[in-house]
Amino acid sequence: MTLRECYAALGGDYDAVMGRLRSEERVRRFLGLFGADESFALLTAAMGEADWASAFRHAHSLKGVSLNLALTALAQTSSDLTECLRPGAPAQDPVPLYEAVKAAYQTTVDAIAALDPA
Amino acid sequence: MEKSSKNNKRTILIVDDTAFNRALLGDILSLDYNILEACDGQEAADILKERWMDIDLVLLDVVMPKIDGVTLLGMMNKNQWLQSTPVIMISADDSPENIDRAYDLGATDYITRPFDEKTVRYRVRNTIQLYAKQQVLEDMVTQQIMEKERSNFQMVEILSNVVEFRNGESGLHVRHVRVFTDVLLQTVRRRCPEYGLTSAKISVIANASALHDVGKISIDEKILNKPGRLTPEEFEIMKTHTVIGARMLEETPGQTDSTDGFLQIAHDICRWHHERYDGRGYPDGLKGEEIPIAAQVVALADVYDALTAVRVYKDPYPPEQALKMILNGECGAFNPVLLECLVECADRLNRELELGDVEPMDSAEIRRVTNQLLERGELSASRRTLSLLDQANARFEFYADVTGDLIFQYDRDSRRLMLSRAAAQRLGLKRLVVQPDADPAGRSLGESYLDIRGLLEKTTADGPDAEGEYTLQLPQGPCRFRLQLRTLWDGESPGWTRVVGKLTEITQ
Repeated sequence: MTLRECYAALGGDYDAVMGRLRSEERVRRFLGLFGADESFALLTAAMGEADWASAFRHAHSLKGVSLNLALTALAQTSSDLTECLRPGAPAQDPVPLYEAVKAAYQTTVDAIAALDPA
Repeated sequence: MEKSSKNNKRTILIVDDTAFNRALLGDILSLDYNILEACDGQEAADILKERWMDIDLVLLDVVMPKIDGVTLLGMMNKNQWLQSTPVIMISADDSPENIDRAYDLGATDYITRPFDEKTVRYRVRNTIQLYAKQQVLEDMVTQQIMEKERSNFQMVEILSNVVEFRNGESGLHVRHVRVFTDVLLQTVRRRCPEYGLTSAKISVIANASALHDVGKISIDEKILNKPGRLTPEEFEIMKTHTVIGARMLEETPGQTDSTDGFLQIAHDICRWHHERYDGRGYPDGLKGEEIPIAAQVVALADVYDALTAVRVYKDPYPPEQALKMILNGECGAFNPVLLECLVECADRLNRELELGDVEPMDSAEIRRVTNQLLERGELSASRRTLSLLDQANARFEFYADVTGDLIFQYDRDSRRLMLSRAAAQRLGLKRLVVQPDADPAGRSLGESYLDIRGLLEKTTADGPDAEGEYTLQLPQGPCRFRLQLRTLWDGESPGWTRVVGKLTEITQ
């Protein structure tokens, strides 16, 4: 699929990312790098160990990365998880929020994999 | 403080624990800037410690392991790195309290994710330009203030020398009084906080002390230089130099001087440096603390130098004896606390003279002026430059203290010859000789003096080294030396500005 179709599939905002990063070439390059970003894997590991401080950091990183690429669905779910894990936040079970991040992450990775070469 | 690198691009340090973010920022900026990366606050701190002078901007993530962005910002603030290296925070965290905290700690700007490529470029460019300009301006202001202070002091010195030469004195008296005043006041400041002395005020008083006898310019030369005792009438006329000096300063046109300003302090010193603590001085018979502290201290410095210096009519008293005479009340009545201060700093007084701490604007002076600036404003760009300058002077003093070599340094503008301890001993000179060609002791260098001048004239900026062999007339007889010297050129003034050299005795 095209870059625009890919953004539609993963619940992102194609116009926003093009407005900010200016070129399809750059957006594609960084979508490629997104696969190599370890934030999600580290988040998963930290959740497994109930290491909330690390989980907060990695959720926060994932949110930053997906915001920059306008991966809106992933940005929203990881933002919710970040706020839940933020030190001093009201106690709330983070696991359902993590599951939402996981689903959005999978959708995103799948869509990027289905992207036509430029 | 010039920031440049091999390819003339400015350098940006990107601090982010997420490789993706570093790559994205690097991609946006690497065309126009050199990029350094750090993956957490600790690594960034290590890089900054080594290279903060070379880094023009830091892009700083907030949430990071080990040392987070806010902590690093605090460290940069504390270490003064922020003064020359601006920080732009970048974070997905757009909560107002975090943004406020970053600005409070000295961040220049705050960019929230997701960021726009153009926004990043423009904010980075503007911040770097702003800081570069500010630095150039800071350096210019510091430079100009130093120039101004220097020429102010030189004017005061010229004026005081005019008075002294008319008075048949050497011009050294003014310098000595200034050094003594400064040292005494430092001691007073430590012991008596009630006088409210600050380093800035001490500096003003020490400079103003040079004018204490300026009123003598209007005293008839016949009285001023009369050999032998003055008649009571003549003494009355002589006494008016205090009031006349004070009036000259009062009538200085265009004065908009505060009570703590130079003119006011110079006025107080002129008028009241012959008052006595017991109220039996002149012209006003002020008593005790009615006499401003500036005038009290200059009066004491004046007397101390009069005792320890050579005069046409007397040999110098050794410092210990001068001190005893003052403490016994043979030379006037002084504030007992001031006398205690004198006892405390007596050793320092003599040492300061020996070291020749009489440069028109010595390193302590420059430091003081700069500190005043720092207290008032944000001028710290030149801090490093000044400290290098300081170190260069201190280095020569140190070598000169500890070396057994016969080494010296001569400054063309101030015409001062500084000798290492060993050289002073061997040549029978003081460690500081002002105008060696005019000084009787300096003349012991004999006819070699002219030859040495010839040697100096042969040096150039590209070939500053020269050497020769000379016979010097020493107290214990003529002695043959090999002289090696190097002239120093500042690239601005015509000719050399300084000479450093070493003498080696040639044993037959």
